[in-house]
Amino acid sequence: MANIHTSQVFYSLTLEAPSAPTAACLCNVIPELRTTEPQLFEARGDKVYLKRLVVTDHDSKLETILEQNVFSIVRDVGSFKIPGTKEDFLTISSDSGRMVMLRYDIERNRLEEIHLETFGKSGIRRTIPGQYLAVDPRGRCLMMASVEKNKVCYIFQRRPSGEITISSPHEANQSNLLCTDLCALDTHWSHPMFAAIEVDYAAVENGSSSHSISQKSLNYYTVDLGLNHVAKSWTAPCDPTANKIFTVPGGTEGPSGALVCAEGRLYYMHKGMQAPLTIPIPQRQGALETARSRYIVCGSMFCNKKRQSFFFLLQTDDGDVFKLTLEMTRVAKTKWTVDFLRLRYFETLPLARSMLIIQTPAFLYVLAETGPSMLYHIMGLADDEDFEPWNSFDSATFADHRHKLEPLSFRPRDRLKYLSHELEIPALHPLMRTDVENLTGEDTPQIYAIQGRGHNSVFKTIRHGVSVEEIVASPLGNVPYDKIWSMKRAVDDEYHYYILLSSSYTDRTTVLGIGDEVETLEDTSFLASRATITAAQMGEDSHVQVHARGVRTISGNGAVAEWPCPTHCTIAVAAANQRQLILGLSSNELAFFFMGTNGELNALEDFPEMSDRITAIGIGPTPKGQQQAKYGVVGCEDKTIRVLSTDLDSPLEARSVQALSDVPTSIEVVEMVDPKSNGSVTYVHIGLKSGLYLRAIIDEATGELSDVRTKFLGHKPVRIFPMEIEGQQCVICCSSRPWVGFNHPISKLYTMTPLVTGPMTAASSFISEHISGICGIADSDLRIFNPPRLGERFVHESVQLENTPRNFVRNPWFPLYYVIESDGNTLSKATENALLSEMSDKQHALPQIGQPFAPHHWASCVQVVDPINSKIESTVYLEDNETALCCACVGFEARDWEVYLLVGTGQDMDVSVKETGYQGRGGGFLHVYRLMDAGTRLEFLHKTRFPEPIHAIAGFQGRVAVGVGAELLIYDIGTKAMLRKTRGAKVPNRIVTINTMGNRLVCGDVAESVSYVVYKPTANRLIVFCDDFIRRWTTTNTMVDYETTVGGDKFGNIWSVRCPEEVSAEADEDGMGGFIVNERSFLNGAPYRLDEKAHIFVNDVPMTVKRTPLVPGGQDVVFWSGISGTMGAMIPFVARQDVTFFHLLEIYMRNRKELEQIDKCNPPLTGRDQLTYRGYYSPVRGFIDGDFCERFLTLPPAAKQWVATEMENWEVPEIEKRIVEMRTRAAF
Amino acid sequence: MADKLRTQQQLEALQNKYVGTGHADTTKHEWTSNVMRDSYASYQGHPSMMLYMAVGTNTNVEAVRRHCMERMVLPVGPPPAMEEDEE
Repeated sequence: MANIHTSQVFYSLTLEAPSAPTAACLCNVIPELRTTEPQLFEARGDKVYLKRLVVTDHDSKLETILEQNVFSIVRDVGSFKIPGTKEDFLTISSDSGRMVMLRYDIERNRLEEIHLETFGKSGIRRTIPGQYLAVDPRGRCLMMASVEKNKVCYIFQRRPSGEITISSPHEANQSNLLCTDLCALDTHWSHPMFAAIEVDYAAVENGSSSHSISQKSLNYYTVDLGLNHVAKSWTAPCDPTANKIFTVPGGTEGPSGALVCAEGRLYYMHKGMQAPLTIPIPQRQGALETARSRYIVCGSMFCNKKRQSFFFLLQTDDGDVFKLTLEMTRVAKTKWTVDFLRLRYFETLPLARSMLIIQTPAFLYVLAETGPSMLYHIMGLADDEDFEPWNSFDSATFADHRHKLEPLSFRPRDRLKYLSHELEIPALHPLMRTDVENLTGEDTPQIYAIQGRGHNSVFKTIRHGVSVEEIVASPLGNVPYDKIWSMKRAVDDEYHYYILLSSSYTDRTTVLGIGDEVETLEDTSFLASRATITAAQMGEDSHVQVHARGVRTISGNGAVAEWPCPTHCTIAVAAANQRQLILGLSSNELAFFFMGTNGELNALEDFPEMSDRITAIGIGPTPKGQQQAKYGVVGCEDKTIRVLSTDLDSPLEARSVQALSDVPTSIEVVEMVDPKSNGSVTYVHIGLKSGLYLRAIIDEATGELSDVRTKFLGHKPVRIFPMEIEGQQCVICCSSRPWVGFNHPISKLYTMTPLVTGPMTAASSFISEHISGICGIADSDLRIFNPPRLGERFVHESVQLENTPRNFVRNPWFPLYYVIESDGNTLSKATENALLSEMSDKQHALPQIGQPFAPHHWASCVQVVDPINSKIESTVYLEDNETALCCACVGFEARDWEVYLLVGTGQDMDVSVKETGYQGRGGGFLHVYRLMDAGTRLEFLHKTRFPEPIHAIAGFQGRVAVGVGAELLIYDIGTKAMLRKTRGAKVPNRIVTINTMGNRLVCGDVAESVSYVVYKPTANRLIVFCDDFIRRWTTTNTMVDYETTVGGDKFGNIWSVRCPEEVSAEADEDGMGGFIVNERSFLNGAPYRLDEKAHIFVNDVPMTVKRTPLVPGGQDVVFWSGISGTMGAMIPFVARQDVTFFHLLEIYMRNRKELEQIDKCNPPLTGRDQLTYRGYYSPVRGFIDGDFCERFLTLPPAAKQWVATEMENWEVPEIEKRIVEMRTRAAF
Repeated sequence: MADKLRTQQQLEALQNKYVGTGHADTTKHEWTSNVMRDSYASYQGHPSMMLYMAVGTNTNVEAVRRHCMERMVLPVGPPPAMEEDEE
């Protein structure tokens, strides 16, 4: 592994973490907030989040306390309270083969490892526990189980000293035993027990059993705390379709035991019962519903210990949630008998991975399997017997699965009754495809995405930035203003009163007053006949207006004093704080003023001269309780800035000089909180003419500048406006678009994010009685908006789609997308309408919720989406049970390069794809649509039948390359059908992607990576000349250059392969004389093999890879997106030394042993080694893990220092700067 | 002879500990069953792949998991009849 960075190296960075939730649990890690702000621990992808629910009078939100990348595949999370401790401990089950116990350290805001115990090999394996995790409700032990055979149990104990000890692992293994689900039983204080649904397959596999289906049983495992061992204590046969198990409260609250969920049935089972108590899961009544057993996908138990009552919320695969209660009679203090089960229809909610019932305040958190997760306020618990009596069911049947039950049915509602929608947590999963294009001519390209499932599918336009909510946008005539100030009347006022607008073009100033409305003030003492250079409220209640010819001071009593500019020069720039004023004169001199307590400006006598024309001035804010700021910064035409002392003792004495790459246009000195030390640090923000923005720290004592960070903001000169947002000092930077710079509330890093709004010339903070926000000027429009929500990263706009989107393609000329959509096992629109029209009115009356399930039916369509106006232009429904699989816009040479939309389909497909018959029905079609009305409408031209479904098409030299099964064919357009021109190239299984460049075609095979094919026009032949030596289950790929392909596979890898140079040259030799035609096949494949250049595991199935720049002026990166909602970038390294630097950083960051000793910091929480994780299937090659390098920024200072020392010649700020700039230079 | 016995015992211990460890007489059915069981167990542990399959088959993650679990019992069908072993 030492140095395999031979040629191209990428820096792999996650831009947007996966949003698909894996698991979640309630916890209580901050004991003080137990009753007021309940906390949640959830896992999404390889990240874990600690959140808290904050409910205020007017809104509620889930605030992230902590997020951390754990560099392992998280499978489940749990929390438990060990008797005698105040707070909860957390545990994560992952692929590390280790059990981890974590504690949240409130002071340092991080998760601290208490125990880390290895029990098996790393990786997702059949017999290594980790798939299931169950924690004893009393926090005495936990059990982890594997899918087959193994179970491991750890017992916790709290010593009187407060130390938590953990036992050695107790195993309960049994060969040939498959575990379907595991839960911990509530045994009150007697020995802890776990219940599992299990199958022993030994009998059926040996052929000794006559059953084709094995017996499924419910097994109890008792953890004997006295004898310190785990043993199977009870077993009972259960329903062979059982898939979920939930624990029933025990002790004083309930009868204990387990709730077993099977297909169409629920069972209450417990040791000592003759037969299980059972109730069928009701089926939906609906116009188009067919009889079909439902099963439980997710559930949650709620137990109110005080009132000794409990209930379950169980969700079926349709999304219907039922409330299950056990009606019991108490026999003894802790002994109950269950009389009957009661099931009531509760609500229909999005299909969840996990549902959490929060007691105080009463909320239901639904982590949706697809789409946004939801937070609901619980208004009622379906306790009203009289409401919807037809949706309430009782059962007192004691019988097992062999006893058939009468099916029950209920009527779902289409609106919420017991819940009210409170909050939607935006999510991107399932992210089917993305495209990066700049359709609107903005600075940066937008990300277009198709996302979602069924009728909840959307087409999204994603922009990087934070959204701002505009309150006022009023045109102020046709005068282009370029500066704006908003001021209070006096320093102690709460609200602003004046807004000054200055126009250098017309050389005028307009004064507005803020009352109930914003209106023009005519009779103020401000000079209206000149443009204002700067204006400020100074002293107690004075106002200062600087214009080219002088400085006007208006004191609180209305007296006006004017300081005239020295003759033969004008004032070019100025900066003011509460007490001080600096002017930059056109004679390159500086003038300095100080305002005394009487509100008069006192000028400094000498005017020090600067080296060149002064272009920008900034002065620090007056510190609280002091009279003067320490430093001012002056920028000159000669591309330098100087830090000057503004102390009255040594006024305008130069302290340091810094050279810049361009002329500074705006300088602001701002006191900002340094998140590392929580102290205040003076930053100077500099905007350059070239659109570059710089930020540096001014040393408090010496005035030296250090830690300079740069970012390119846009193609216009940058102007900077400091203001306070959400209680922290931020800066708004206006270039070709506005940006906001702030310390990120969670990551604590200084972040620059664009505001998603129109361009702005100038901005100022705005505080009135009703609005507290930002006012800005864009040409002649005054705009007032709410402050942006800091921390937001993306702004979405969405268009509703009809079915699950599968792929999309852009119109080459117009800003339009053609989206192909399909849903398996769903009635098509036409069939649905036909069925509905046949029905009587009575059946009609029942609402149909969601898409009607119908086996072997397909609903599929092609939609034209206009992302700019956010609307669907037109829709074409596919008929004959066809489903759209791929699409492409192809220009045909035979038709004068007219562009057609081609859609490849399959007919009568099984949802699990398999080849269908050709004669009569089945196979696939190639549809051709003509683009009408500027591409907004599709006209069906013809379709051509193929023996197999078509999964890939691509335009190729004025014709079209079609992948039919394993074969690559070239077709041309005809009047009645597509005409075959050539055939011959075959890949091993099925072509799923085609990319072309020149005469070369790269075909992605469903299971065996990519094959390079060359087309020989003279002989009209296709020849496969190069393929891969590793099987890769290609999902997507793209040619980043003529030789290289970057792609992703179903197992979550991203790889890059390259064709060897001589092979590439040989393939492109002219004519058929070359060797390539006669080259012999090598090991049953193509004559040559591709070289693997890069490979990394990203823990998400990549659905799109694309080579594109992401930021203005940024280099090309490989952008990718995955199905769980991940968006990432692979940034190619340009310089060798950068590779060495990051490589070294990775090595020292991986040194867990050393880092652990320093300040107890331990990067990978689950104990998974980052390098083996990234090399899950194949060793990491040609990649630096950027996410891992960024963990450096969150290390405690001592650990950072250790890494820096080990790396030699590097300082901590320098390393931080390189890491941050690696991201900001190429991505966001 | 003792050596052979020990080797045999070691192999048995291995086979007991590591499910799927083969031996000289591993049949095709045993081999393929093991491969399939390993695969199904692996699918269940990768949440993103489960989501991918759920979207592809228009079902939900729990349905895919159930399917994987059920298939693990006899992943490649029942074992072939024993008599055919004779030559």
